[in-house]
Amino acid sequence: MGRRLATIRGSALALALAVMSTGPGVLAQDGQYAVLMKTLSNPFWGAMGQGVEDGAKEAGIDYFIQAVESDQAAEPQLNVCNTMLERQPVAMITAAINSTNLLPCLKTAQDRGIPIVDLDANLDPAVLEAEGIEIAFRIGSDNVAAGAQGAEYLVSRLGAEATGPVLVIEGLSGNITGQRRAQGFAQRLGELAPGLEIVASLPGDWDRGKAASITNDILTRHPDLVAIFAANDGMALGAVEAVYAAGLGDQVTIIGVDGNSDAVKSIRDGRLNASVAQLPYLVGKQAVENVKKVLAGETVPKDIAVPTLVLTREVLEEGSEPLLQYVK
Amino acid sequence: MTLLRLSGIRKSFGAVQVLHGVDLDVGRGEVVGLVGDNGAGKSTLMKTITGIHRADAGEIEFEGRSILDLDPGQRRALGIEMIYQDLSLARQQDVASNIFLGREPTKKWFGIIPGIVDRAAMDRQAAEMIRRLGAHLPAMNRAVGSFSGGQQQTVAIARALTFDPKLVIMDEPTAALAVREVQGVLDLIRRLKSEGIAVILISHRLNDVLAVTDRIVVLRHGRAAADLETARTDMNEVVACIVGGSGAQAAAAHEGRGAAT
Amino acid sequence: MSSELARPGLWTRAQRGSVERLHIRLESLLVLLALAAVMAALSPYFLSFSNFLNILLATSTIGILAIAATFVISAGGLDLSLGSVMGLSGVAGAFVTVNLGVPWGLGVLACILTGALAGTVNGQLVTRALVPAFIVTLGMLGIARGLALVISGGRVIYGLPPELLYLGQGRPFGIPMPVVIFVATAIVAHCVLAYTRFGRHTLAIGDSEGAARAAGIRVDRHRRVLYTLSGALAGLAGMLFMARINSGDPTAGLNYELTAITAAIIGGTNLFGGRGSILGTMIGALIMGVLQNGLNLLAVQSYYQQMAIGAVLILAVFIDQYQIRKETRS
Repeated sequence: MGRRLATIRGSALALALAVMSTGPGVLAQDGQYAVLMKTLSNPFWGAMGQGVEDGAKEAGIDYFIQAVESDQAAEPQLNVCNTMLERQPVAMITAAINSTNLLPCLKTAQDRGIPIVDLDANLDPAVLEAEGIEIAFRIGSDNVAAGAQGAEYLVSRLGAEATGPVLVIEGLSGNITGQRRAQGFAQRLGELAPGLEIVASLPGDWDRGKAASITNDILTRHPDLVAIFAANDGMALGAVEAVYAAGLGDQVTIIGVDGNSDAVKSIRDGRLNASVAQLPYLVGKQAVENVKKVLAGETVPKDIAVPTLVLTREVLEEGSEPLLQYVK
Repeated sequence: MTLLRLSGIRKSFGAVQVLHGVDLDVGRGEVVGLVGDNGAGKSTLMKTITGIHRADAGEIEFEGRSILDLDPGQRRALGIEMIYQDLSLARQQDVASNIFLGREPTKKWFGIIPGIVDRAAMDRQAAEMIRRLGAHLPAMNRAVGSFSGGQQQTVAIARALTFDPKLVIMDEPTAALAVREVQGVLDLIRRLKSEGIAVILISHRLNDVLAVTDRIVVLRHGRAAADLETARTDMNEVVACIVGGSGAQAAAAHEGRGAAT
Repeated sequence: MSSELARPGLWTRAQRGSVERLHIRLESLLVLLALAAVMAALSPYFLSFSNFLNILLATSTIGILAIAATFVISAGGLDLSLGSVMGLSGVAGAFVTVNLGVPWGLGVLACILTGALAGTVNGQLVTRALVPAFIVTLGMLGIARGLALVISGGRVIYGLPPELLYLGQGRPFGIPMPVVIFVATAIVAHCVLAYTRFGRHTLAIGDSEGAARAAGIRVDRHRRVLYTLSGALAGLAGMLFMARINSGDPTAGLNYELTAITAAIIGGTNLFGGRGSILGTMIGALIMGVLQNGLNLLAVQSYYQQMAIGAVLILAVFIDQYQIRKETRS
């Protein structure tokens, strides 16, 4: 009784395989740009996606954009990357989750002559060289500089002679972006105001709640805390909640990075002191515009740094800063 | 001819003495009913036979040889098999898998890869076993959990048979069955007897015991209170022996004292 | 024996045949084929050999973890530490080859042994300390992930020896090595679970521990072997992913245990033990792989993919339960 079934099953499978192997692979529309983000569940990436969309529309470019479920889904992102190559895009614009997870996909892209753009500068140049991958250009904010700008703002507010404990909340352990921001902040602060001592530098995993807990813990040990630098706005807003709950809102200066809409609102409310705004919208827009140039045979700089902007209540209320239009 | 002989078996758990010197004989191919009230010591007695419990005093002889020092595995190897009330079946596996669980016949693949379960042999032997019992199952390759209680009992008995037992102890085999299925299980017991296999049947259903046994042993307060020949007894006598004395008055007194454990 | 059978319909007969011979449920195969047909109709890029390989490649790590999950779950256990142990193993392998400079073969061994060791700890705690598997492996989930971050200092360890890279990136006859290893592992695992005494006993233990003990199976020892096997498979998956991206990534395999368990369940494994087959699990993993690949090709947002997979999971178990109820009633 099983034999007839086995035959049915066998032929169904054979049919499916046959169809698979003869399927058309030549229907690709010419000129599609593939854009691979980390995730869209974050205003930062949302804004960048918006920039890509507007940039593409203005330049008359056909593109498709994809992302994975979280900014830690390294292998899923690699799988999505491979799948995107099936659509035979003319350019790959990728925001890799870490410096190595997309390497095999990028290699394949390179072998097929598809130019690669490192969106938001997540790839490590040394690794790329070792793998023999040559990217068209990298574009993003200079995260070290963003951290340094945060330190500069802090010193401009407290003075170079200021003393007291400072807390740094890093990103996810091992994430290069968070490390660069924290590092840029620490370095510049040491140069400008050596009296401000970083008493703790802890990973907040990009998590608002975790940052609040860290802040609570450090406030217990250092009730005289004068400042907190968090490697993104979400964590900075967590720190704000903890600081205000402890009744120390006037004593502690809190600085975030990103300039997202929640942060802007908090700054306007006079709670968060400052956010070093990245301009992800501009990053996305300029990425597409520059890829178009590359495909047209023009040369573009290998490293495109999109400026960052320190947002404070004053800057927001004045409204005269030209870069403000890109703060989404 | 005596297959199993128990004499003066005593067993206590801590301060509670459950068996007060039980004597019991079972002949080859004989079906003995073991009845008694809850707490009379039936299960404890059976577990001293299979070796799960060790008797404090007394002697157990199987085929004329003392088995007191043997562990359960060795006693099973001698031919003592017990089917528990829960049947210990793997409900999602099919008939053959249950019958041969733990002792699957194996073969080699391509003459080199050993340890491969020989499904064909298993299925064949399982079907043979069911046929030998004169039983019918809806299908051999279905999960036994989808079978009725009586059909599951058949599988459990078939499994016991594969050990080539000389004595099968059955704990309440008919308790969970629909009325129409009871007869089937009693037929199986008769079939065992006809193959020369002795059966100890523990049951509360006295009708079943009276229908299928050769002898009925009544256990009361840890003693063999009566040893009745089934052909020469009836329900009233058995009940009287179980509750002690004769008649309702004694039964009431018995209830008043409560169970022994 | 067929004379004793009632005359069931073709569908039921087909099912019994499939259960008997290949240990899978026919529905899951039909769902897979139907899904492939839908994807082929919707996306012109779906039906190509290279995309077929893509799907297998994307399924390889998850698929190996799903094999591990099938073994443990069909024995009535649970291993929530699969993804973390995979991450830890990759880091361990990268650490010894890159930082300590040991030969690549020892790197492979380090991955698998690390996984096996974590699995052994799980098994010992479950069977000897009698801590529930859910708790033990949940604890191991945290311990392994934390250890991976500690060993790696929180960053990826880059730059493996070329022989190791071949295991992740090589393409003998055009087929990616991870796919070769994955398929080979699946075939061996299927035979072990479906055709050996070890496999039969695994299912029996998950079905009824009491029955297994009564049949003389050494249940605790068997469980310990299963957890060790599960860990070793997670180590193998960690090795493949490590070799694929040329680095040990401490965050690799995050939440994979749930995806692996999902694949096993979609493939017909009983979450409470007693039933499971590797072939079924592979179909389950491929259903998820095809769904993801197809939705990626259609550029559907990843949020919808998660919804789709959740729906498939519930649907699969529903169909399964429905069939079982129908069978029991008949």
